[in-house]
Amino acid sequence: MNTASKATDKSGRTPWNKFVYNTNTVGYVFASPFIIGFLIFTIIPMISSLYYSCTDYNLIEKENWIGLSNYIYLFHDPRFLNSIKVTLQYVFFSVPIKLAFALFIAFLLTRPSRMVSFYRSLYYLPSLIGGSVAVALVWKELFARKGLINTNLAALGIKTVNWFGSMSYAKWPIILMTAWQFGSSMLIFAAGLKEIPGSYYEAAKIDGANGWKIFWKITMPCLSPVILFNLIMQLISSFMVFTQAFVITAGGPNDATMYYALYVYKQGIQSRNMGYASAMSWVMLLIMGVITAVVFKTSKHWVFNESEG
Amino acid sequence: MRIKRFLAVLLALAMILGTAACTKTADESDSNVTQGADNNAASTGNKTDNSGSASNEPVKLRMAWWGSQTRHDRTIAVIELYEKLHPNVDIEYEPMDFDGYFNKLATLVASNEVWDIFQLGSNFPTYQSKIYTLNDFIADGTIDVSGTTEAFLRIAADEKGNQVGLCSGVNTYGIAYDPALFAKAGVAEPTENWTWADYKQACLTIHDKLGIYGSSKFDDWQAGASAGINQEGFGIGFFNKTNDNLGFSDYKMLSDYMQMRADLVDAGAYPDPGACQEISDIENDFVVSGEAAMTWVASNQFVSLCTAAGRELKLINPPRKTANGPAGVSIQSSQMLCVSSDSKYPAEAAKFIEFFQSNIEANQILLAERGIPTFTAVREALAGNLTDIEKAVYEYVDVVGAFDTGGETVNPSSPACTDTIKEQYNYYLNKVIYKEMTADEAAKALYDFAASQF
Repeated sequence: MNTASKATDKSGRTPWNKFVYNTNTVGYVFASPFIIGFLIFTIIPMISSLYYSCTDYNLIEKENWIGLSNYIYLFHDPRFLNSIKVTLQYVFFSVPIKLAFALFIAFLLTRPSRMVSFYRSLYYLPSLIGGSVAVALVWKELFARKGLINTNLAALGIKTVNWFGSMSYAKWPIILMTAWQFGSSMLIFAAGLKEIPGSYYEAAKIDGANGWKIFWKITMPCLSPVILFNLIMQLISSFMVFTQAFVITAGGPNDATMYYALYVYKQGIQSRNMGYASAMSWVMLLIMGVITAVVFKTSKHWVFNESEG
Repeated sequence: MRIKRFLAVLLALAMILGTAACTKTADESDSNVTQGADNNAASTGNKTDNSGSASNEPVKLRMAWWGSQTRHDRTIAVIELYEKLHPNVDIEYEPMDFDGYFNKLATLVASNEVWDIFQLGSNFPTYQSKIYTLNDFIADGTIDVSGTTEAFLRIAADEKGNQVGLCSGVNTYGIAYDPALFAKAGVAEPTENWTWADYKQACLTIHDKLGIYGSSKFDDWQAGASAGINQEGFGIGFFNKTNDNLGFSDYKMLSDYMQMRADLVDAGAYPDPGACQEISDIENDFVVSGEAAMTWVASNQFVSLCTAAGRELKLINPPRKTANGPAGVSIQSSQMLCVSSDSKYPAEAAKFIEFFQSNIEANQILLAERGIPTFTAVREALAGNLTDIEKAVYEYVDVVGAFDTGGETVNPSSPACTDTIKEQYNYYLNKVIYKEMTADEAAKALYDFAASQF
């Protein structure tokens, strides 16, 4: 009975108890699955990929140190330069379309109605299953030469489109599939819209502003921090586009959808040039870092911050 | 309030569905993506198979292969048969498609976890470090090779005489065509001496008359580069006999095929790269759906193709560069089963391979789907009840075996850089099809690229 009182402090707790009940310890224990996972599955592979990026590692033989040759070769590789081009093109189209769509639906769903939550869940569904291979296969069938889209176009008397055989059309099904997964952005927008005080709108209405003006003068500025968040999240995930292109087009036709991550995969896993693929990944990190930094820097000019206002 | 509870349930359901979908993705991306739905049944099968009865010394082997659904079904049946005969052996299997198989193999090689029993083709030199050679097992009688011939053993051995595997069957490449569609378009059926010019003309005429593709997807590397270079003359090949350099000197030998492919796509007589992407395996080739009149096959795939098509198809050798020139194709080991050096039970794996290749009961399930068996007793046992389609394959292989080879022997292997060169070949070929390069430029670029690999 008295054993516990051996090393107790003033408050009557053992050092062990003190350690266990410390708020920080509890926090670290709860965060530990993530921290351990992050260290093992992110940091270690990142460091090894930095090492491999300076070697000719091919998965099978022992690697040789070749310095920066991989990085130098990158800029002489037309397929690599093309992959940057098509990825930027994809990001440029898919992010605005997706965000605009997400905002539009979120806006519609701010109406006070009993069914709003139901619809919100419904529209969120594609995001849950959207990145999966199964959906990509469905998409592939939809846009196939004799798929649903072309059958309907033909029924309407419109000329059918050879989606995946044409270098200029092939990217559209993939961009549309990305835009279709607008759910998570929509939820964030919806939450942001709710935060805007109703009194702003009332005041604007009394002053005689029309809907369009209210949207641009009140909704957009108040929502701009949320837009910034969504923009950055979507930019990053768009740069990593892989599944859709891998399943639907395999990078074709003629590399029109050979996106960056897909080319990394092709080089690394299919052609077993792991060293080269690692170098490519690091360049990708650099490009994404720069673009995110630019967005952050310019955000000062368009993100409305109440504390400054 | 009630609607909120309903929503909570709905969202929870959605989450579960979502995670289920994600799990599946992870499973599938390992093996095969493009093949999709029809493979699911097979790939989920391997999890239910751990019920082998307990024995004193349980052995667990892992095995993988690539192929079509027919191959998956038959191979799994043989594995189950083996497990029944050897209750202590439990074989975990992974049926895959070609690309998924080699992608996974590469990662397993890196992590020293290659399947105990795995399938390889002529690209075996790439994986040589992971192959447990069978010489010792043959010497000590674990594998009994008295039922096959020295020549058949050699097609699964490297140039130093290391037995890298046991051949699963011999095959050769050919063209499967639909005689009814040829007749309907008024095109004469191809003969043994037909040329690429005849092929092109047939494609164009069939397309004009019937509005379908004259030809479905070819294995461009095999047709245009591998067989294509062989057709230039006896003893000429893409790689030399020792696999340490190219086996030809004039890049122009590559350009004709590229030009022809581009012309045919332009004319609509050959599926464009987008349409080719719709073909995931031989069983949904455009010939099956009647949208094309001929396609490129490995002779052992012909049975699957005919079964899927349900119509009469015929088999002929690929077109030649000149009517009296070399045919460019020869009899080869279609693939072999190898034991991996990562295996804990190499002898057990070797025993299975011997069973797989030489057991008559097993081969009556496999039915030469991987090529014509190399064990005499198996071949004779199967010969009794061949279907007409199988007979056509045997006859075709005999025809190819009788082709004049100018006294040259065939190189059964290809160097490790083949995959990279093949990838580059397809890349340049697409550039020609989309008119970003001329066939001459592409051929030159590919030649230089290939030469730079040595």
